Amino acid sequence: MVLQLGRLRCVIVDDSPRFLDIARRLLEQQGITVVGTASNTADAVRSATELQPDVILVDVELGPESGFDLAERLHDEAHPAAVILISTHAEQDLAELISGSPAVGFVSKSDLSFDAIRDVLRAGDGTEGERVAPVSGPRGR
Amino acid sequence: MTRKWSRRSIGALSRRGAASPRAAFDSDARQLPARLISLLVRPTTPPLWLGIVVAATVITVETVVVHQLNKVAPQNAFGAVFLLGVLVVSARWGFALSVLTTVVSAVIYVYFHLQVEGTLLPAKPGDWVAVVVFLPVALVANLMAGQARLRTAEAVLRRREAEASRDELAILAEHQAALRRVATLAARGESPSEVFTAVAEELALWLHVVDAVLIRYEGDGTGTLVAVRYEPRETRMPVTGDTISTEGDDVGAIVLRTGHGARIDNHAHVGGAVATRIRAEGFGSIVGVPIVVDKRVWGAAIVGSRRTEPLPADTETRLGDFADLVATAIANAATRAELIASRARIVAAADDARRRLERDLHDGAQQRLVSLGLEVRLAEASVPAEWVDVQEQLSAIASGLTGVSEDLRELSHGIHPAILSKGGLGSAVRTLARRSAVPVALDVAIEGRFTESVEVAAYYVVAEALTNAAKHAHASEVEVSLRAEDGTLHVVIGDDGVGGASSGAGSGLIGLQDRVEALGGHMQITSPPGHGTTLDITIPVAGE
Repeated sequence: MVLQLGRLRCVIVDDSPRFLDIARRLLEQQGITVVGTASNTADAVRSATELQPDVILVDVELGPESGFDLAERLHDEAHPAAVILISTHAEQDLAELISGSPAVGFVSKSDLSFDAIRDVLRAGDGTEGERVAPVSGPRGR
Repeated sequence: MTRKWSRRSIGALSRRGAASPRAAFDSDARQLPARLISLLVRPTTPPLWLGIVVAATVITVETVVVHQLNKVAPQNAFGAVFLLGVLVVSARWGFALSVLTTVVSAVIYVYFHLQVEGTLLPAKPGDWVAVVVFLPVALVANLMAGQARLRTAEAVLRRREAEASRDELAILAEHQAALRRVATLAARGESPSEVFTAVAEELALWLHVVDAVLIRYEGDGTGTLVAVRYEPRETRMPVTGDTISTEGDDVGAIVLRTGHGARIDNHAHVGGAVATRIRAEGFGSIVGVPIVVDKRVWGAAIVGSRRTEPLPADTETRLGDFADLVATAIANAATRAELIASRARIVAAADDARRRLERDLHDGAQQRLVSLGLEVRLAEASVPAEWVDVQEQLSAIASGLTGVSEDLRELSHGIHPAILSKGGLGSAVRTLARRSAVPVALDVAIEGRFTESVEVAAYYVVAEALTNAAKHAHASEVEVSLRAEDGTLHVVIGDDGVGGASSGAGSGLIGLQDRVEALGGHMQITSPPGHGTTLDITIPVAGE
């Protein structure tokens, strides 16, 4: 249901400026529009509300804050975007917390790519249909 | 007073059924000859008038006897008969009376039986000889009897002294035995209040009826009761944990001020709220001694009696001996508590360092590696398509960087698992179970979080146990259960492997045991060879 037309609009939430920079450049190069970035929960929530992205990449470790808590918070939004958790930790080390989270899935930072995100969204599509934000044509906001 | 109490203590001795070896000896001494001798040669002198009467009677009787004997055998001198009287008198009466009897006997003998005319001197030389022989012999008899009397007097005196010493020795031995009983408790590491309760019981045995308290000075004008022992009665005496003022003039206050023992036998004019209470409760005599720990007056041991007569004079000394033992127990308990606390601090510091190391690795090196890898992928994608070699090289570099990143991740996970901080013990254990090479049957019944050191300890125990089950025990299944109830976290891990595990040197289990014990917990290893291994861990947790 996701990306037949137009590009995915994405927000990246991470407390490392270096990673934000390279992730944005990489994803842009691979065909995703990074509409905004944030380094903490407050900025992330604001970006999500203002920019209404399709997918939000959330780092599990946001300094003193927890990406899992942010995922819960974003899920409470009126039109929640698809939240994908990212981390340098291995997925299997965090599996318990990931499965208990409203996020649609997890991508390892090392493996960050357009394909990885698409695969997660597709997989999420099969289990929790309404979670994935529909993308159809350019938005006029 | 002291005598009265010491009889009591002998009573205590006999109540304990201690058999005195002396008793057997006493009955032997009561045999007939000794009794007879002691009758005849008693050191106490009967009155003088009796002595004179006896001497006169005896001399009279002897005179008559000799007169009769002279009729039968007129040629013999029977002066020796008078010797009898002299001996009798000198056996019971003093030297003076004996000599008098001797002289009078000689005079009577000469006068009545030696046919003197007008004077008191014998006429015939043979009679002179008789008298001259009689006098020294009689005098020597006096001397010997006198010596015998003196010796007996001495012997009786010595015997009385020996008995008194024996009584004192019995009391001393009893006190030492009581001290030893309490010292055993202190050496075994019993808590100070238990040691003090034993002290109070010993004092009650000695003094019959006594109330005793152990008070700890808090340094702010109050003291806290650490242990109490009261006679059973209806009373509203303060209980363990109550606060007592140390400002006043009662024994407790004095001991704190002076640092020495104190005694008050009459509280009629003693000031202070505590003294008022003491009066109201009807106490008579109160004695207290300081408990000195690390050269500081830690508190006081105080005993009180409701009897009218004061506590015995040696109460302070006895109480002081016991107080030393209580001080030892207190010092031991404090040392033990410090040891446990410092072990816990060391473990917590080590865990803290590991967590920070993991954080630093994550925030620093790992992030940089990952970012580098992505940079390389980006570069790979930006390279012209015909530069296949370069693309392949860049791809290889990116893979290499990913590999290093994964290695670092595993290393970091071994240092401190991130999920433990984030998700708590339950999540972490579930992850361990999933990662385990051996299938795990999991029963996690805990909710909420515990302190970090507790969670870390429990996590590492489970992790190590699962590793051992896979690597050494060749188990086919492991059961892991966690539950928290009654302020205790209970972790049980059992496998069906080869068993034979122990916490000996070189085994990873000893480190786990140290960790658990540093938190005040206990780890039980049951691993009979061939019957699998079970680890049973309990860790105290405050509330939950």
